[in-house]
Amino acid sequence: MRGFGVFLGKELREIGRTWRIWVLPGIVLFFAASGPPLAKITPELLSSLVDTQGTGMVIQLPDPTYVDAYLQWTKNLSQIVIFALIIMFAGAISAEKRGGTAILALTKPLSRTAFVVGKLVSHTVLLVVTTVVGAAVTWGLTFVVFGEAPLGPLAGATGAWLISGVFFVALMMLLSATMDSQAGAAGVGLVVYLLLSIATVWEPAVNYSPAGLVNAPTGIAMSESVPLGWPIGATIALAMLFAAAAIVVFRRREL
Amino acid sequence: MSAAIEISGLTKVYGAHRALDGVDLEVPEGSVFGFLGPNGAGKTTTLRILSGLASPTAGSGRVFGHDVVASTSAVRAEIGFLPDVPGYYEWMTADEFLRFAGGLFGLSGEALRGRVDALLDLAGLTGVQTRIGGYSRGMKQRLGVAQALINAPRLLMLDEPTSALDPIGRKEVLDMIASLRGRTTVFFSTHILADVERVCDRVAILDRGRVVAAAEMTELKSRYGGQRFVLETTGDAPVLIDRLEAEAWVTGITQLADGRLSVTVSDVEAAQRALPAAIAVLGLGLKRFEPGEISLEEVFVDLVGGER
Repeated sequence: MRGFGVFLGKELREIGRTWRIWVLPGIVLFFAASGPPLAKITPELLSSLVDTQGTGMVIQLPDPTYVDAYLQWTKNLSQIVIFALIIMFAGAISAEKRGGTAILALTKPLSRTAFVVGKLVSHTVLLVVTTVVGAAVTWGLTFVVFGEAPLGPLAGATGAWLISGVFFVALMMLLSATMDSQAGAAGVGLVVYLLLSIATVWEPAVNYSPAGLVNAPTGIAMSESVPLGWPIGATIALAMLFAAAAIVVFRRREL
Repeated sequence: MSAAIEISGLTKVYGAHRALDGVDLEVPEGSVFGFLGPNGAGKTTTLRILSGLASPTAGSGRVFGHDVVASTSAVRAEIGFLPDVPGYYEWMTADEFLRFAGGLFGLSGEALRGRVDALLDLAGLTGVQTRIGGYSRGMKQRLGVAQALINAPRLLMLDEPTSALDPIGRKEVLDMIASLRGRTTVFFSTHILADVERVCDRVAILDRGRVVAAAEMTELKSRYGGQRFVLETTGDAPVLIDRLEAEAWVTGITQLADGRLSVTVSDVEAAQRALPAAIAVLGLGLKRFEPGEISLEEVFVDLVGGER
């Protein structure tokens, strides 16, 4: 792990000084800020939409609550944010290989293990900090808009999603270490996401695999009881396996 | 003199292509060594193996006695490397990049500050606050040499450092390399013959994955080219050519476009005595008798250019 601290410092500075600081945080904060107000006005929007069409139909929707704001948040995390993460992180390692920066760094006493772990840690830090800030914004605005915002369901749902997020960070590190094409790695990442989503219709997969975390944030946000032990354990184990595989693959690659 | 680089039977195969075909080479410590060859000869592959970026298919390479495959960490601690197309973190300034590079070698504090300042000065980048993304090619290449020197390496390996530069940029980088003579060993790949003639004291010529010649510059020229005399005579040149071709010390005769003869010889003293005598015997007038060295370009073309 020689050179890890210096390389991680570079990675964190790079996030702060390039487009990376705008994309993922921008998306997360946009949805965090827009979710609660949108949840509040959605019934009114639907009603006015029906009225303007003059059908005479009357839609009765329950009054929105903080749960609707939390569901907006978890839905956005599970779909748009995870897509952004997959696409953005698909070139984490391959872009440095393609651009020649990896060569300058790795012909100095920086081990390839430290290189991959530095990437993994910095991208995880970006994801965690962004998500926690987004959750805090959601919580604060939910309280302002609805007058109540219990912390437990939001924290639980966000935490469960974050474990999925870290799983995808590790997966993208492996794909980026394996493939030179960022588009190719992103494509495979999206296929994995799609397969996990499809697997949610099969109960054993929901009970014992990362597929169990796909819909878990929604259930937690609604204060439902969700079995999490096996899905969390399996997701963490697979994330660690992906990280280890990324290191092994990158150490064997010629630059 | 001990060896900075020892390469033995180095072979690299990519599918059906043999990029290196049993390269043997020794680079003495302290030399400025030109690694010359046409595009595709295997220069970059050799440097990539020596710097641990690629693995050999067969054979071995050692840098100051450390095996380049088994002891990559030890090798990297001893070398500075500039690839043919260096990639930078373009959001950094030169100062930041050199600090990052120094940090990877464990440098910090005043030691790092002092070395960064000295290298910025050497590269002519002191006070430049522009991000690297805004640099010219010449500035990037000078920064490349500077970052390769951050650890005060015993061996500096440069892959085609001048190939993409304009004449001014080339001169600046070559001046930087020349200024390192006596301070570190420089192993410098290029296909630009004039660069090698200008800064190198030793040279190896690589062609199709094989070393076809390796020696000191002067020795290489005399071994493969000897000396040359340019003659301008009055009278019948073909008669003179026939006469000279019979001499054992004449290795080649070329009639230049303006009618002069370029005579390559293996024995300079014999030629100095016999050439004027042969002209006199044939009753020709001697207008010009001009001795000159064979250029590296002529040696190079002679060694690798014949079948191209």
